[in-house]
Amino acid sequence: MIEYCVLALLQGGERYGFELVRTLSEVPGMVTSEGTLYPLLSRLRRAGVVETSWRESPSGPPRRYYRLTSSGRAVLEAFSGEWASFRDAVDHFLNQEKAA
Amino acid sequence: MNDSSLHPLAQDYLKRLKKAAASLPRARRKELIEEIEAHLSEALPAAAGETEALNVLERLGKPAEIVAEASTGQAPARAGVNERLAIPLLLIGGVIVPVLGWFVGVVLLWSSRIWTLRDKLIGTLVVPGGLAAAVFLFLVPAGTRTCSGGSGTRRNPATGKLVRFSESNCPSYSTLHVTLVIIAAILLVMLPILTSIYLSRRATRAEIAA
Repeated sequence: MIEYCVLALLQGGERYGFELVRTLSEVPGMVTSEGTLYPLLSRLRRAGVVETSWRESPSGPPRRYYRLTSSGRAVLEAFSGEWASFRDAVDHFLNQEKAA
Repeated sequence: MNDSSLHPLAQDYLKRLKKAAASLPRARRKELIEEIEAHLSEALPAAAGETEALNVLERLGKPAEIVAEASTGQAPARAGVNERLAIPLLLIGGVIVPVLGWFVGVVLLWSSRIWTLRDKLIGTLVVPGGLAAAVFLFLVPAGTRTCSGGSGTRRNPATGKLVRFSESNCPSYSTLHVTLVIIAAILLVMLPILTSIYLSRRATRAEIAA
């Protein structure tokens, strides 16, 4: 699931690793440890759904920026649709349970 | 990168991470260490107090945990040459080399770890032969089928009068028959194409989850 959250975060434009990791870890219940997100970012890059480039930082060492590829955009779009119907299906059963 | 710009506890952490990551492939190990080093230099100023440093490292997680995550999918289900060949072979292999071309596609499909059993069944059964089914069932017979026949006049042997005739050995089709054949042809073209799109989407998804 977190994979798709990363792709969704990149919809608004490119971000660098630390920025992505902090944004995700600040949402409670999303991430257990920040460090494990870096291997996940690497997997997304190898799958071709994000691409990276190094950029100078105003302070400190250069940063690796991540941005969506067109295939990443397509994957995210497909997921959004499936997620909506999955969520509705689960809600359907949860609400049924309540009503019973 | 300059290690001395890092907090002493961060330097110690990196050392432990490098040791834990020894089992990773070289490129992946290098990438991971670069990223964690960049993280530490952003998250933890060299002059930070010990409590702050411990908090940052705690949020980051244990080196072993991070390396374990980096090792998942180490023999990854990635689309390789086989997968990239399987999809076009399933679709048009049978047109280029009848039967065999498609069959090689099927073997590649079933030997891949990237697709699930369901994907493989769909890839094989929708439609066996791929586009070859449409080509050989409809295009080839339509091109080679000729009918002989003609019209003219001939003498009726009984009366000796000239009579007009027209005849043909072409079978005559009803409108319903023709419609059904056209629908079948469209399905036989569309279904293999849709299956190819489906298989390549499933391959991309498996890569992301790996």
